[in-house]
Order: sequence, then C-alpha cells, then structure tokens
Amino acid sequence: MTKSDPRGEVPEEDQLRAQCYWLLARLLACAPDRDFLDHIARLEGDETDLGRAIDALVAAARGAAPSALEEEYFNLFVGVGHGELVPYASYYLTGFLHEKPLANLRLDMSRLGISRAVGVVEPEDNIASLCEMMAGMIMGEFGEPVDLPVQRAFFDRHVGSWAPRFFEDLEAARNAAFYMPVGTIGRLFMAVESEAFKMAA
Amino acid sequence: MSERKKAEPMGRRDFFRKAGLGAGAAGAVAVALSKTPAKAAVAGGKAAGGKGYRETRHVKKYYELARF
Repeated sequence: MTKSDPRGEVPEEDQLRAQCYWLLARLLACAPDRDFLDHIARLEGDETDLGRAIDALVAAARGAAPSALEEEYFNLFVGVGHGELVPYASYYLTGFLHEKPLANLRLDMSRLGISRAVGVVEPEDNIASLCEMMAGMIMGEFGEPVDLPVQRAFFDRHVGSWAPRFFEDLEAARNAAFYMPVGTIGRLFMAVESEAFKMAA
Repeated sequence: MSERKKAEPMGRRDFFRKAGLGAGAAGAVAVALSKTPAKAAVAGGKAAGGKGYRETRHVKKYYELARF
C-alpha cells in the first residue's frame, strides 16, 4: 500500500477503464494537437463495436489538421454565445448551467477529497472534468484508489445520468467530423461501464 | 455472466476485454497519456500539494461567454 505508486495496485481491467476515461477527457478538454494526433494514430481497435469506433477515430486522426480540429472543437463546444452542444451535467439535467446537479457534484467531490485547482472558476460538471475525475478515482490520483461501490455511486449520479445522451448528441452533431467517433466511443464506453457496475454489485 | 451476484476478478477483466478495452488499444493510449499529460480538465496533482483539477482555455472561454 504505497501511496507514492498507487498504479501498481490497480487491477488491469480498471487501468483499462481509466485509460478510456483519460482518452475521452483529453479529447473533450481541448482539440488534440499534432503530438496527440500522432498518438491516436497508433491506437488499434479490435472486432468489437468499441474497437471499430477506435479504428474510426484513428482514421479521422490520420487525416486531421490541428487547425481544423480547433475550429471543429470551437463550433461544437464553445461557439459564439454557445456551441452546438453544451457539455455540462447541469445543463443536460435541468436545461441551465450552475443548477443543483453542480451543487450535488461539489458536495460529492468534497467528500472524496477532490477540489478545483487554485484560480479555476469554471463549473466542475463538464464532461472532460468528470471523465478525468472517474479516471483519477480509479487510479488513486486523489489519494487511494476509490472502491467500486463509491465509483458506481459517483458514476450513476454525475455521469451515467446524462453523459450517454451527451455522447449520442455528439455522435449526431452537425459539426462533428473528427468528433463523431469520439461520440461513438463515449456512448459505447458508458454502456460498458453501466453494465460492469451492475455485474460488480 | 451478468447474472452473477459477485463478479470474480477474471470475470470482470474478461468482460472489459470482450467489450473492446483490450491491451492493443489501451496500451497505446497509456503511452500517449503518460507522454502528454492532460492540459485539460482534472488532476491538480500531488506536486502542488492539492487534489484538484484544471480546466482548458476552451472550457473557460465557453463559460465566460455563457455568462454574459
């Protein structure tokens, strides 16, 4: 139980889950730069639906120009006024930002010892942050790795309650080209997570 | 498999593998992620003595725009 290297204790399957969350977090936090595109291009999917979605992402990454991805990202998530999609739990669950889902999230974050970095003012309930929180809980980035039942409660409350809809929207978004397979990967992975949590219960 | 009350570690592992989170893809992702740490959302990190996370420029910009 060494705190300095929590990775060694995390089962392989959970490391795979964390990697999937990190991948989504990276893709959704900002448009990928050339380096990250090169890494994506080396991924290899298998014959599963998720594997095929990863292959579609790889194909998209191979032909992508970072400047075009910046523009796509802007149109999807930032926009003038707002983007085509509004990737926040509060918005999806209530139609508004900063509503009760955000307050509930903050409460659970404080219970888990997760807080915003100093100087950050944005709401925590955006999809990239939530994916990063899930990965961090799994891998013990916020202390010890968090037990599955606690992960599940957090997932059900803050991710599973809306992120599947968000990923479906992303998959179907008018402005999504590179991001279409990202939506597919997210949608499929959310279903895998829900099923796995039920298995473990 | 999903009928089982308590999934054994191998059962869970197989489940995720069969779902497509296999080592081929994930291994490469792991390399990508370790080499290019997230500029992104979370993980304020232990180095700063805090647990927390950061946001991106884009998310921040979105938020600023959404407010006004």
